[in-house]
Amino acid sequence: MKYSTRGTPPPPPELQLLANFFSKFKLPLIIIILIAIGARTSFYTVEPDEEAVVIRLGEYIATEGPGPHFKIPFGVDEIIKVKTQVVHQLEFGFKTVDSRPAITKYAKRDYTQESLMLTGDLNVADVEWVVQYQISDPFKYLFQTSQPVKNIRDISESIMRRVVGDRLVTEVLTTGRVEIAGDAKVLMQEVLDKYDMGIRITTIKLQDVNPPKAVQDSFNDVNSAKQEQEKMLNQAEKSYNRVIPEAKGKAEQLIAEAEGFAKEVVNKAIGDTTRFNELAIEYKKAPEVTEKRIYLETMEELYKRISGITIVDKKVKGLLPIFSKQEVVK
Amino acid sequence: MNNSKFTGIVLPIIGIVALITLFSSMYIVTEGKQAIITQLGKPVGEPINKAGLYYKVPFFQKVIFVDKRILTWDGLPNQVTAKDKKFINVDTTARWRIVDTLKFIQTVQNEQGAKSKLDSILDGATRDVISSQNLVEAVRNSNSILEKIEEKKQEIKRKREAGEPIVEEEVSGEIAQIDVGREKLSQMILEKAKDDLANLGIELIDVQLRRISYEQSVERKVYERMISERQRIAEKIRSIGKGEKAKIEGRINKELKQIESEAYKQAEIIKGSAEAKAAAIYAKSLNRNRKFYDFIRSMEAYKNSLSGDTKLILSSDAEFFKYLR
Repeated sequence: MKYSTRGTPPPPPELQLLANFFSKFKLPLIIIILIAIGARTSFYTVEPDEEAVVIRLGEYIATEGPGPHFKIPFGVDEIIKVKTQVVHQLEFGFKTVDSRPAITKYAKRDYTQESLMLTGDLNVADVEWVVQYQISDPFKYLFQTSQPVKNIRDISESIMRRVVGDRLVTEVLTTGRVEIAGDAKVLMQEVLDKYDMGIRITTIKLQDVNPPKAVQDSFNDVNSAKQEQEKMLNQAEKSYNRVIPEAKGKAEQLIAEAEGFAKEVVNKAIGDTTRFNELAIEYKKAPEVTEKRIYLETMEELYKRISGITIVDKKVKGLLPIFSKQEVVK
Repeated sequence: MNNSKFTGIVLPIIGIVALITLFSSMYIVTEGKQAIITQLGKPVGEPINKAGLYYKVPFFQKVIFVDKRILTWDGLPNQVTAKDKKFINVDTTARWRIVDTLKFIQTVQNEQGAKSKLDSILDGATRDVISSQNLVEAVRNSNSILEKIEEKKQEIKRKREAGEPIVEEEVSGEIAQIDVGREKLSQMILEKAKDDLANLGIELIDVQLRRISYEQSVERKVYERMISERQRIAEKIRSIGKGEKAKIEGRINKELKQIESEAYKQAEIIKGSAEAKAAAIYAKSLNRNRKFYDFIRSMEAYKNSLSGDTKLILSSDAEFFKYLR
């Protein structure tokens, strides 16, 4: 033996004292402790968001609201507190990983089992939704069904498929959201009421509703085609707006110019004829003299301007050859 | 001495035995539970359905508790071929309750035992019912969808008559009249399984078709159809877009030509009528003095037409040169 066994060390004085105390007041002390424990465990507090179900020797006695309450201690009364004011939420097709405010993250790994469903036209849609419920009767919630939350989940999945199954996929993906959620809520409550399990559905809300992942790209392509169409129309309208007003302006310009021309022509005619008429009046008074005067004035002006005048006497013959051939041709 | 031994050892032993006997003769049935008493393995008396404190013969009688609440059965997905030869996975759940405690304990002992019975009975019933119907019967619950299709058709007809471009964006699918429907199928499964389960002391409350999905190969085909359909629709939308664009461009050309030619026409009319008016003014004035016009216009024409570098060969006979001769 390597280790020598030593005698147990004497207990410290404090413990000694306690032991003495015990041996002196054995029975009264036990009774005092029991009373203390009894007093300590004979009341309980129900928080404002809770209700408490009181079970006495296995049997349901009452449901108590918030505040302090008494009960029979030593396991006779059992208290089960249930959060009746809290709105519980179940998620289908996704799962909130971190719901601290402002950083709600969603895990979207593979809940497609839950979210993929057949539509009425035998297509497939990927529907995500949440169910919010409150416990309306804590006793029924606790004792009517063995797995209340699983029941709510199962029924919710079944009802959502039933509602979606009665609609066209297009409706499910586009316009039907609100109606689907509303119908699902009513039907789901009906089924849960049949179980009488103390659950009240407050809301069903559809989250993302999409075509299945495998076909999503092609659905997006249709959307982008629509965008393209819009863009093309806008471009065409743009070029319309660029060309037509300009052409209208130019047309007005052309007409205005024609009108200007018309005024000019008529005015010129009036001017010309007035001048001519005036002259004609004088001419008629002395036709020969006037004619002569005008003739001479005209010739005077004309000959003054013209540099190459050749005057030929009638008697001179064979004059023409003095011009070069070219000039004759001209 | 003797007395103190009695109080010190025997009394506590008697006390403990008395306590054990007392506890063994009492039992508590809590809410949500039911119990049956067996005496040396044989059931005795009526099952206890109400919660509370009860008494029994100590040591010889045993209490067996079973659940009184609604219990949930969750089956594994079943691969089923519907009547129209579509391969599908059917996942059902059911709610049940132990109504005949004695029978339940005798036939399946406990919930574990009940589960395996439920598995076989409900899976069988589900398979039988689903495979005897077309897939659509398990998907839809009513024929309301047919009315919607009719509405859509009317709308398309109206649009066609109004000459609006129609893109049938709808995902096409199989729309068939249903005769039974989803809820009735659940009911049929329930009816089929009910009696078998009643023999086990089980009341079947409901059966829910939780999930119905295509088997993978079918699913792939459905997706392929959806994809090709989307592609077709996208193409159609694009080509309608191009068509609309061409229409607008055509309108531009048309209006342009119209505007330009209209303007040209009007301009020419204006010019023409002005010229006519001018001509009338001239004619009216000149006709009165035809001879003078002849003369004066000739003079003017000479003046205007002959330029400075014109070469003139004039005869001295001309009137102008009369005095030169």
